[in-house]
Amino acid sequence: MTPVLTMVIDDSRAMRLILKRIVAQLGFDVVESANGKEAMDYLAGILEAGDDSKLPGLALVDWNMPEMNGLEFVTAVRADQRLRNMTLMMVTTESEQSQIVRALASGAHEYVIKPFTPDAIIDKLTLLGLVPNGVAV
Amino acid sequence: MSLTAQEFAFISGLVRRDAAIVLETGKEYLVEARLLPLARALGVPTVSEFVNYAQRKPEPETHRRIVDALTTNETSFFRDGEPFNQLVTMVLPDLVARRAANRTLKVWSAACSSGQEPYTLAIVLQDALPAGWSFDIIATDISSEMLERAEAGQYSQLEVNRGLPATLLVRHFERTGASWKVSPALRKAVTFKRLNLAAPLPAMGPFDIVFIRNVLIYFDVQTKRSVLQRVASTLRPDGWLFLGSAETTIGIDDRFERVVAGRTSAYRLRSAPKTVPANAVGKG
Amino acid sequence: MTANPTENDLRVIAEQVWSSYLDVDGSKPLLPVPAAKVVVDVTGSVSVTGAWRGHVLVGCSDGASRNAAAALLGIELDEVTDDDVADALGELANIIGGNVKSLLPEPCALSLPHVHVEGEAGRYPASTEVCKLNGTWLEESVTVSVLESTADFAEASAT
Repeated sequence: MTPVLTMVIDDSRAMRLILKRIVAQLGFDVVESANGKEAMDYLAGILEAGDDSKLPGLALVDWNMPEMNGLEFVTAVRADQRLRNMTLMMVTTESEQSQIVRALASGAHEYVIKPFTPDAIIDKLTLLGLVPNGVAV
Repeated sequence: MSLTAQEFAFISGLVRRDAAIVLETGKEYLVEARLLPLARALGVPTVSEFVNYAQRKPEPETHRRIVDALTTNETSFFRDGEPFNQLVTMVLPDLVARRAANRTLKVWSAACSSGQEPYTLAIVLQDALPAGWSFDIIATDISSEMLERAEAGQYSQLEVNRGLPATLLVRHFERTGASWKVSPALRKAVTFKRLNLAAPLPAMGPFDIVFIRNVLIYFDVQTKRSVLQRVASTLRPDGWLFLGSAETTIGIDDRFERVVAGRTSAYRLRSAPKTVPANAVGKG
Repeated sequence: MTANPTENDLRVIAEQVWSSYLDVDGSKPLLPVPAAKVVVDVTGSVSVTGAWRGHVLVGCSDGASRNAAAALLGIELDEVTDDDVADALGELANIIGGNVKSLLPEPCALSLPHVHVEGEAGRYPASTEVCKLNGTWLEESVTVSVLESTADFAEASAT
C-alpha cells in the first residue's frame, strides 16, 4: 500500500490533531495548514521547486476558515492542471444539502460531515481507492 | 440494576463465540449502554432483566441483536463495499443479458435490519440498470421494530457518513431536520415484510439476486442448511446469492457453487448455465 | 424548517458529538440531566447570522473542559493547558453550532468560535434563550444553549 502524503487543512488545532491521528494510523504522512491560503502557498512552493513527487495526493479540507475558505481552496486546486492528481475531501460542519451539492460541483471528491467517527473517514478513503480493502482500526 | 458477574460472563461468552471479540471486565458500562436500547425495545426495564431473558430463551435473533449491538461493525450502507462493486461489474451485466425480454429484476434482502442494505441495493440498481429497466426489492427481517425503522427510511448524520459516497447522499436522500431520509422514489422500490428465516417461507420470488449477509453465522449447522435450502428454492436457476464476507455455503450446502467475484465471492446454483465473465478469472 | 430548535435536537446533536470524539466506546456518555452543581467556568460560542441571528453556546465546568480537551487532543489530563481547553471548546462550539445551523432557516453563516474563560451570564444581553440542554459528563456540568438575537439589537450584537 502506497502511503499518501496528506494535507490537513483546518483552522482548529483540535480538529487537525484528530484528523492527523486517523490518517497517521494508515501510515500516511501529514502536512498541516491552518487555512486555504497557507495550504495554497505550500503547494505553490512544491510546484516551483519542480518535484512533483512531493505533491500531496490527498487533502482533508475544512470549509469555514479565515483568509481562504475550503470551497475557495477546492476551486483553486481543481483549476490547476498540475494538481489534478490531488484527491480532495471536505470535512466540515456545513451539512445542508445545498452546501454538499456546491462542494461536489466545485470539484470536491468526497464530503464528510462533522461530527464523524474514524471509521467514516477510513470508509470514504477506501471508497476513493486510497486504502485497499479498508484497514482494521 | 447493574449486571451481575454471571450476566456479564454470559454476554462476553456470547460475543467471544460469535464474533471473536473479547470483552474484559471493566466493560460493564459498555454492555449496559449498548444493550439498553434492545432491552427497551423488548419492553424490559433493565439490561440485567434483558440478559436474563436472553439466557432463558436462547434465540438466534436475540443473540444476533446482542452481538450486533456490541461489535463495532454495525450495519451500514454499502457494507464491505466489494459485493456492491461486483453487483455492478459482474452480476448486473450478466442478468441484463439474460433478462432482456422482460427487463425487470427481483431482489431479496434477507435479515435487512434497519434497512441500509435494501436501500443500498436500490441505489445501485437505480443507478446501474439501463433505461427502461425496472426492479423491485423485498426486504425481510424477523424484528417488527427494525422493519418499522427501515420503512421510515430515516438515518442520522453519523449513519449516512458511513460508506455512502457523498454524490449518492445528495442524489438519493433528502435532509429532514438533523436526519436524512431516503428519497420517495427509492422507498417505493422496496417492500418490507416480517419473516423468520428459520421457519418455512411464504411463497416468494423467484429472485434474480438474494443478499443474506451476516445472519447465517448465528444459526447452527442444521438451521443453516434448511435456510439455504429454502433460499435456493426461491432463487432463479441462474440467479445470484451473496453472503457475508466471512461466510460460505461450502460444507453446508453443495447445491451452490462459489464464483470468484473480485475480492469477494458470490454463489450460484450448480445447475446454473456457466458464464464466467473475463474479470472473474484469475483473481484470488 | 421554520420551528426553532428544541432541547431534544440538542440532545441528538450532543450525543453524536460525544460518541464521535469524547465517548467513543460508550463508557462515558453525556447524560441529558442537570449536574449536581450546574457550573459554567468556560464557554465556547459561535454566532449565527443570516436568515436567523443568534448564538450557540457550549458551557463547561472546569473539570469537564479539561476532560474534553484531553479527549479531543488525545493527551493526558494532567498535560492539558489553557490553550488546549480554548482549542477544544472552540471546536465543540463550532461542530455543535454547525449542526444547530442546519436546523435553522437557510441561508445562514457561522462565525469563528470564541471562548470565554468565565460564565456566560450577561454576555448576550440582546437575546432570548430558545432552548437549553443541561447535561452531566463524568459527573461534571456541560450545558448547550441556543440564543436568538432580539430584533432591535440585531446590529449591535453581530460581531
